Amino acid sequence: MRILFTLLLTSAWLSGGYAQDDSLKKIDLSEVVITATRTEKMVSALPMPILVINQAQIKAMGSLRLNEILQEQTGLAIVTDHGQGVQMQGFSPDYTLILIDGEPLIGRTAGTLELSRIAVGNIKQIEIVKGPSSSLYGSEALAGVVNIITERPEATKFSLSSRYGTNQTWDISTNFNLKKEKWNASLFLNRYSTTGYDLSPEIFGQTVEPFANYTTQAKLNYDVSKNWKVSLSGRYFTENQQVNFNIGNSSSPNLINGKGSTQDFNFNPIIYYQMNNRIKTQFRFYTSNYQTESKLNYVTDNQLYDATFFKQNFVRPEIQTEYFLSSKHTFTFGLGKIWERVEATRYTEKKRFSTDYAFAQYDFAPKKWLNLIAGIRFDKHSVYGSQISPKISGQVDLSKKISWRASVGRGFKAPDFRQLYLNFNNAVAGYSVFGSEELPQALTFLQAQNQIAEVLFNPSEIGNLQAESSWAWNSGFKLKPNARMNINLNFFRNDIQNLIETQVVARKTNGQNVFSYRNLNRIYTQGLELDFNYQVILNLSLSMGYQYLVAKDKTIEQKIKDGEIFNRDPITLITTRVTKRDYGGLFNRSRNMLNVKAFYENPKWGFSANLRGVYRGRYGLGDLNGNLILDNDNEYVKGYVVWNIALAQEIWQKRLRVQVGANNVLNQLDPQNIPNLAGRLFWLSVGMQISQKETK
Amino acid sequence: MKNLIIHLYLSICMVLALVACKNDEETPEPPLSAITVNNLAADPTTNTGTGQPQPATGKFTLYNFKNNAIVANTDSASNKWDIGFRGTTIIINGGAIRSGQGGAYIYTGLFTELTEIPDNQVFSTDQSPTQLAIPTGAGNGWYNYNPATNWISPIAGKILVIKTGEGKYAKVEVLNYYKDSPSTPSPTAISRHYSFRFIYQPNGSKRF
Repeated sequence: MRILFTLLLTSAWLSGGYAQDDSLKKIDLSEVVITATRTEKMVSALPMPILVINQAQIKAMGSLRLNEILQEQTGLAIVTDHGQGVQMQGFSPDYTLILIDGEPLIGRTAGTLELSRIAVGNIKQIEIVKGPSSSLYGSEALAGVVNIITERPEATKFSLSSRYGTNQTWDISTNFNLKKEKWNASLFLNRYSTTGYDLSPEIFGQTVEPFANYTTQAKLNYDVSKNWKVSLSGRYFTENQQVNFNIGNSSSPNLINGKGSTQDFNFNPIIYYQMNNRIKTQFRFYTSNYQTESKLNYVTDNQLYDATFFKQNFVRPEIQTEYFLSSKHTFTFGLGKIWERVEATRYTEKKRFSTDYAFAQYDFAPKKWLNLIAGIRFDKHSVYGSQISPKISGQVDLSKKISWRASVGRGFKAPDFRQLYLNFNNAVAGYSVFGSEELPQALTFLQAQNQIAEVLFNPSEIGNLQAESSWAWNSGFKLKPNARMNINLNFFRNDIQNLIETQVVARKTNGQNVFSYRNLNRIYTQGLELDFNYQVILNLSLSMGYQYLVAKDKTIEQKIKDGEIFNRDPITLITTRVTKRDYGGLFNRSRNMLNVKAFYENPKWGFSANLRGVYRGRYGLGDLNGNLILDNDNEYVKGYVVWNIALAQEIWQKRLRVQVGANNVLNQLDPQNIPNLAGRLFWLSVGMQISQKETK
Repeated sequence: MKNLIIHLYLSICMVLALVACKNDEETPEPPLSAITVNNLAADPTTNTGTGQPQPATGKFTLYNFKNNAIVANTDSASNKWDIGFRGTTIIINGGAIRSGQGGAYIYTGLFTELTEIPDNQVFSTDQSPTQLAIPTGAGNGWYNYNPATNWISPIAGKILVIKTGEGKYAKVEVLNYYKDSPSTPSPTAISRHYSFRFIYQPNGSKRF
């Protein structure tokens, strides 16, 4: 073993001559991140689990959209529910806050923020903080935070890249960066289009219909004086997609087609004021608009089937001050207000709510080997009440090679517009869904019309929706046995209360139900995350990431303990009691997830290559035996592995870059259960870059 | 599995204990056997091709356990029927809006575990079309509804204990709600066809 190491070290020394400008190492401990504390801090000093994906890695992978990157990261799974969202520490996508340069993206459908909306061509790095960060970010930061940090121009350069792949997928990006002494600016333009794919041709309508989208992002930074700086940034996204489906059946079809569109606009001016070396203040303003529209017609007579719209608006001014008392004490304070409104076909009128908030954080490093961070945030919401979210975390460097860290915090998610205000009557199927605030009036109205046969819950009991909240514990070790190896181990446990679920509240005379939202369940998720990085030689790094997860409903566990849940074999019709062991927990959670990656680069030849494998262990898809819980083998989707490969060659003094790749090389498919898993995708991309030598 | 064996063992012991105890007082009776009824139509609707459920419009299918037979709707105002099915609604022949002496409650447990109805057990009755002995709605009574698959499935371990129109006792376990009892959800399955098993105790005792 020792000989092998010596050999490896020797070869590393031999190859040490190559300059390494872009680091492909997965965790570079000197990397600076901002998401975890809202202040710039080195990854090595952070007492909470964090993942950083840098530009070099994104480029090497050849990824275009955020979902492609996140699905290859340890402990993250891309799950689909009205869009592709990220599952973190076993939480649904609803509970992860997605930020661009520290400002939240809005526009969720049934809780999921579609990650493919986000182009990654101009990203400096992606920072992922696991565990609740409500003490800094408030609502939604319950499972964690994904913060996309866009590039800040370091030089004047122009780049253009184009990629073509399977399913006529075209991606064209340009990036224009200008750097002057006192100011810099950037403009990013992207167009992405695809003809989509169809995994079940026997059914009318494709699995993914053709769509095209455009992203424009512009940023301007200006240093007014030594103490004052301003920055302006804006982003606009628009997408059009075809819609085709059949509301009849295969023998007597009733076809519908039409178009859907999505628009998303953000604007974010910031003023930075540095009073002296000790006090820094940011005045931030952020506004975002999100809207969707769809118009669907019957194919036969072109009559209108359904037309809907949804408009959401978010406005937030915020002040944040950092106070560096000394190298040992750093204080951060913040204050802000959020106005939100929504207007949609399924809401009775324009709905608004607002949140006032304040937060404080104390970063204390009394010794070189000890760092403690304590934070607290108070949110006062206009509809559902107020929340206090504390968090404390600490890191102890036990030796140069081992650090121990732990954190305890509270996270919450405010009831969203849908849960409070939805007012939806499905005219065709006959059921109704009402947000908790709409329910009392809506029920009275339906009762007056004699449409209600029976009320199953007292509406006053349902009326007060509480925020979903959790307490989370994270603890683990950072190990650095030698300069080439990094090991990160983290144990986590989240206890969630007041989980909001849809619930039947009344029965209508037509036999259909009235649904609303109630705080029902108490669930927990727990497990461990392990990240292992090893730089075999300077040019080759290997990494492995693993997550073990258990996510269960406490109410169900209690019922099983009391012997109240049964399972009837559908063939033999023999009924048995479900045991603790049979219970597989929440649906759509894999107990085991694993990724392995090898990145190779040879800067001398301008060549790089990588191979990445992502395994998602079996997970529950849905109930089949009628007890509504996951307890039977046929209720699981089989585990699967997706292998991705990419090769790149730079030519003409790095001005031109040609990259080829294949995603899902082994063509893993499960059309029925995993519709977002497209088959094997080949792609080729060509990029060019012209940069001006920095004027000094 | 171990728990299951213990449960089974305990239930067998309990049965044996009860039988042994009662044997001292009464002459042994022939053991009651379960009868399974398949594909009992409960106001089925024709598929309109839109895939949407139709509101129930027809009549209840009335059933008599003693004769193991359907009872004509013309006899609805008599004590000749014991249980009725229409869509997911199950009625029993007792209460303010019925003519028989019936009643019902839902026992949580295994069909075989229920060997004797407790003496103090209260039977609910059908008081009004919206206040039935067997509660309507998903998760309230005998079935669950899975919105992902649009599937109605009888809740395992929910046993309907019925007092018949004539005041005798029966226990019923609903097994399937679809024609020919498909074992997994299927979009083409035809709903409103009950399969169930029951044990009827003709001698008026509360033991099965």
